Amino acid sequence: MDTPWIQTHDLCRYYRRGPQQVRAVDGVNLSIDRGEFLGIVGASGSGKSTILNLLAGLDSPTSGSIDFEGVPLGSLNRRQLAAYRAHRVGMIFQSFNLLGHHTALGNVELALYFNDTPHRERTRLAAETLKRLGLGDRLDHRPGDLSGGEQQRVAIARALVKRPEILFADEPTGNLDHENTRQIAELLTDLNRQGLTVVMVTHDLDLARQCTQRMIRMHYGRLAAPKDPAFGGGTAS
Amino acid sequence: MIIRDLLAVATGNLWRMKLRAFLTISGVVIAIAAFVAMLSFGAGMQKNIAEQFNELGLFSTIQIYPRGARAANHTDKAAVLDDHAVAAIAALPGVQLAYPFDEFSVTVTVADTQITTEAQPLPTVATRTKAFSRLLAGKSLSSDSTHEALVTEEFMQMLKINDPDSLLGRQLIVSVKVSSLDSAVARVPQSMVETIDERAREIRFDSLRNKHYLERIVRRELQIAMSGFVDGFMNARATVSDTLNICGVLEGRHGGPLRIKPVVFPIRTGKRFSSAGYSGDPIDMFTSLNSGTLFASSGDTTGKSYPKVTLNLDQYADYESVSDTIEALGYRTFSFAKEFKEIRRFFIYFDLALAVIGLIALITASLGIVNTMIMSIIERTREIGVLKSLGADERDIRVLFLVESGLIGAIGAIFGILLGWTISRVASAIARIIMERREIPDMDLFTMPPWLVLTAFLFAVAVSLAAGYYPASRAARVDPVEALHTE
Repeated sequence: MDTPWIQTHDLCRYYRRGPQQVRAVDGVNLSIDRGEFLGIVGASGSGKSTILNLLAGLDSPTSGSIDFEGVPLGSLNRRQLAAYRAHRVGMIFQSFNLLGHHTALGNVELALYFNDTPHRERTRLAAETLKRLGLGDRLDHRPGDLSGGEQQRVAIARALVKRPEILFADEPTGNLDHENTRQIAELLTDLNRQGLTVVMVTHDLDLARQCTQRMIRMHYGRLAAPKDPAFGGGTAS
Repeated sequence: MIIRDLLAVATGNLWRMKLRAFLTISGVVIAIAAFVAMLSFGAGMQKNIAEQFNELGLFSTIQIYPRGARAANHTDKAAVLDDHAVAAIAALPGVQLAYPFDEFSVTVTVADTQITTEAQPLPTVATRTKAFSRLLAGKSLSSDSTHEALVTEEFMQMLKINDPDSLLGRQLIVSVKVSSLDSAVARVPQSMVETIDERAREIRFDSLRNKHYLERIVRRELQIAMSGFVDGFMNARATVSDTLNICGVLEGRHGGPLRIKPVVFPIRTGKRFSSAGYSGDPIDMFTSLNSGTLFASSGDTTGKSYPKVTLNLDQYADYESVSDTIEALGYRTFSFAKEFKEIRRFFIYFDLALAVIGLIALITASLGIVNTMIMSIIERTREIGVLKSLGADERDIRVLFLVESGLIGAIGAIFGILLGWTISRVASAIARIIMERREIPDMDLFTMPPWLVLTAFLFAVAVSLAAGYYPASRAARVDPVEALHTE
């Protein structure tokens, strides 16, 4: 049997909020195959964003482990973990997280500061990526001058410019209207068809059904038993 | 991140918060300007002293003085600075030139004007040393036996002459009053004998048994004898003259250890005056009398003792070892190089005191940097989260914030150095005006050597980096997950 590309083992992430312990992720076993489009759905506070942060190497588990190509992320030091984020992982967020004082081009270039791309290459790659996403005429625009959909596309360009192996999308359409949601969904689907592994967190079941090949549902930090035939792959622990 | 990217991002960030960055940088500018201006004053003072020392060749000059009989630890008599001693000192290794200092109270006649002043004989080689080589006009003495004389600017002022060239070639009659031993001694026996004869008649035979009575009589008679000797010494003076031509005018020097007497004549003239009798101060006479060298033998000067001998050392001679050798011979030495070492030590403390004042100003400015950087972190928490999500590690974030604070220091240092330089120039110009009004020789009170510029720059950057270290470490520790959700 082939080893899954990414696999979590009894993954837990607990927070302390005052006297209480919050079990954001509580014993999740999950596998992700290369090239798949996985949707993680669930209500607010179900731990879906937390699991995404753990998979992206932005957060560390309280217990359990995440294996990436068989290598536990926990065995990497801070520098190696930063390199993992810089080279292999792309992330997009609900609130886009673009830097307002940079232009669209500058925001996209920023992703190449940490993966050893030469200075001249950076501008070329960033401009190319933005053009590919239909933002060729918005290179010098600042985020404040762009629509929500355009901003999210800039954020996607920033995630894609470093040619990641996996894209983690945290509620990518949460702040968008219907039309922009549709466009972003199409874009993510296209990218997945081109071979990019995508893990998308959303509370929008329709969007998840439309884009993803597989869905898992989080419920109070655990993977929920599938109620919908579209759900599958995840194993509730 | 490479340094170029770090600088670009840091500059961009400072530019974004222009006003705050400007105010913070202004604090550094003022502190560095104060630091630079104060230390450039210290450096300027030091440079002026070093230049004066160097100009006069003082670094290679030692002055030798005789010690008093007690201080010299000699039971018989003190080590005397006579011609033999001068020759012996001149022969010591490392000594280039040794010449004695002698002075005469002279009456000088130039044309119809007669003035009383002081004069000193000098060997020709000494007149060619740095201390005596700054001529306003003419040339130095041509030989030790020449009928030439050098005069100083001070001498010109005494004669109320402004053009030094007008003095060249003019005849100078130098006259010295001298006392001879014969004239002094002539006054003693007569009075002494007469008195003792008179007293002898009064002394009864039995009173001679009284030791104290006898001592009192002898002491009193000696007092009378000495009084007669001094009286004879001072009042029976002869005048000795020499006619010289003024060959050069020396630049005046006001005071100081190498003050030049208004008239400088060759050794020959000096010997002539000395051999004619004692020409000095009566008080000095007793010093010479005490050392047994007032008149070693009549008619020559071989036994004449000098109050001071000046040594010029070879370029690479060690002044300390030469001083030690001479002190071992029983003399007291004064080395300008050693003195300068003391002055430099003083300047180290002086500079340190000034630097501490500058440091206090810079520490105050650094608090502004800490404040600015912490504010920056609070405002840019989300940005730190984004950078971390894009692959920045803690080191990248720490370095980025350190570069920003270092940049504040560097920009502040550059403008601070420029402001400090401007302040020092303005202060120097004002000081020059004041010095000119008070007729103090012109000098630049401030100097800005490259080491000062470099020190100020590095100092500002180092203090700024130190100030930025805590905020930078705090930024590096920001949790990216929390940061990404910061509004």
